[in-house]
Amino acid sequence: MKILKKYNKILLVDDDYDLLEQNKLLLESMGFSIVTAESGEEGLKVFKEEKPDAAIVDLIMENADSGFILCHRIKRTEQGKKIPVYILTSAAYETGYKFSASTKEEKEWIKCDGILNKPVSVEELISKLESF
Amino acid sequence: MNNNNPHIIIIDDEKGLREGTKRLLEEENYTVDTAENGLKGIELIKKNDYDLAIIDLRMPDIEGTDVLKELKLYRPNTVSFIATAYASFETAVESTRLGAYSYIPKPFSPDELLHQLKQGYKQRLLLLEAERLKIEREKNLLEIAHEKSRLKTIIEAISSGVLLINKEGEVVYYNNATLHKLNIDRLNIGERIRGKLPDKIAAILDSFLVSDEYHDKSVTAQIEIIPQNRLVIDATFSPVPHPDGSFAGVVIVLKNITGFKQVEHIKNEFISMVAHELKTPIAAVLGYIKIILDDTIPVTYEQQHDFLSRSHIRLKSLLDLINDLLDISRMELKTKQREIQKIDIKEILESSLNLLEIEISKKRLEITTDIDYDLPELKADYAEISRVLLNLLSNAIKYNIENGKIFIKIHQSPNHLIIKVEDTGIGIKTDDKEKIFSEFFRAKNKFTRSISGTGLGLTIVKRIVESYHGKIDVESEYEKGTAFTIHLPINK
Repeated sequence: MKILKKYNKILLVDDDYDLLEQNKLLLESMGFSIVTAESGEEGLKVFKEEKPDAAIVDLIMENADSGFILCHRIKRTEQGKKIPVYILTSAAYETGYKFSASTKEEKEWIKCDGILNKPVSVEELISKLESF
Repeated sequence: MNNNNPHIIIIDDEKGLREGTKRLLEEENYTVDTAENGLKGIELIKKNDYDLAIIDLRMPDIEGTDVLKELKLYRPNTVSFIATAYASFETAVESTRLGAYSYIPKPFSPDELLHQLKQGYKQRLLLLEAERLKIEREKNLLEIAHEKSRLKTIIEAISSGVLLINKEGEVVYYNNATLHKLNIDRLNIGERIRGKLPDKIAAILDSFLVSDEYHDKSVTAQIEIIPQNRLVIDATFSPVPHPDGSFAGVVIVLKNITGFKQVEHIKNEFISMVAHELKTPIAAVLGYIKIILDDTIPVTYEQQHDFLSRSHIRLKSLLDLINDLLDISRMELKTKQREIQKIDIKEILESSLNLLEIEISKKRLEITTDIDYDLPELKADYAEISRVLLNLLSNAIKYNIENGKIFIKIHQSPNHLIIKVEDTGIGIKTDDKEKIFSEFFRAKNKFTRSISGTGLGLTIVKRIVESYHGKIDVESEYEKGTAFTIHLPINK
């Protein structure tokens, strides 16, 4: 696997501690530096402190829209505008409501660079980041 | 009237003949009454429905023909014979014109008389049978007349809509419920209905009307009349044949199934939530196993151990979840099959506390109880009430702080047994308070992150309490503590 040096530090935000740990470990084993947070609030704090090169954010955390709100806040910062921010969720699969953040309307209110559906493989994750 | 012996009256002023005939007939098993003149005869005729009557033509008071007229008036089915010594063709004609069955010339021989009476009695039986049939037929006619209005009343009373459409697509008949089911204001007999029908119903109707032949095949469809499950009907289309078997039209029966649909929707949502809750821990465990099995990922022995113990926790809580789900599904059955018995709430409390002893001592919690001395017996299902107390107590433990307190108060009001479980734990944020009884809701904050739970405990408690027509209240202050109070009706 080619390692993307341009994304050295990645922020992972997920309220499921286990999934967070696993993705951290997998990405670390590929040479990325990983910082984590377990809620939207904590995510913003870590983002500001660590200035990561990419962020992968869970959608439903303390609230159903925690991920959207965190993306908004990240994208409002100078650093946030420069980096890819993805939402990772199983909501689309479970509710049957599919959003992709690709239509004009969706881009109005979803301030992220893409939606990834859980479960996602590390390979898929990296290829997404690569294509940004 | 007539049992087996023919009942006969002899009306004759001639005593010898009267008595002689009586003796003769009684020997032949007739039941015989006699009258010595016309008026007495009429009197008896009014009292009894005789099978047969022998009437003398000439009597001192009134004529036999007058008696005959009266007889015909009151007893049209009594078979009568005119007896006279003045036999003549004219009298015979006159008597039969007045309704006599036959004519017996005096003097008559016993054989001749018995022969005549036998014939007359046959006639009597025929008349009675005809009378019976006539009454029956009249009754039937009356019933048919009633039947039509009765059928109409029945169809109007049916809560389902009944709509009859002929093969030209015109309304032939409908009941009032049809209008509600189709959400339309009015229908006119004879109007073409297609335009007023929802597309789906119109399409099925068309499929029936295109064919001229009658096929004995019904079609059922579920149709949403008002969107968002506000009115959903089940429409069954059945062809109606003419008496000769050819196709006459279609009858549509419309049933309101909105309630079922709403329940179905809630169930589906529940199932998708369940699927999510089942999938999440499995995904977590799978992730750990994958990492351990992947040789390219360096994992220390300590990390491996950590992953396995994390997996263990997730699987254990998955099992709890499945048990809770089973409880919920059993509860639905149980409201029908629960074992209601007299239960002692104090005993249930004690055994619940025993079960939780380890958790209580681990956190070094202090338990205080305040229980009324003279509590009423509760009639309920033991397992269900245990479940309520266990869930509340285990929450009071799980969400408590180290060295915290749990206060249990059980007392009674005039109509309720009141159980209060109060803790000194992390409390519930105001926003979360209304959500805590919903399926799978778990408050997410810095305290709850490390506490495992299925999100179904309070749902189960609430369902059980409400199934006994009780209620549950919650008071809570974030970071201070929570108190749940249950009111269970006392069945006296």
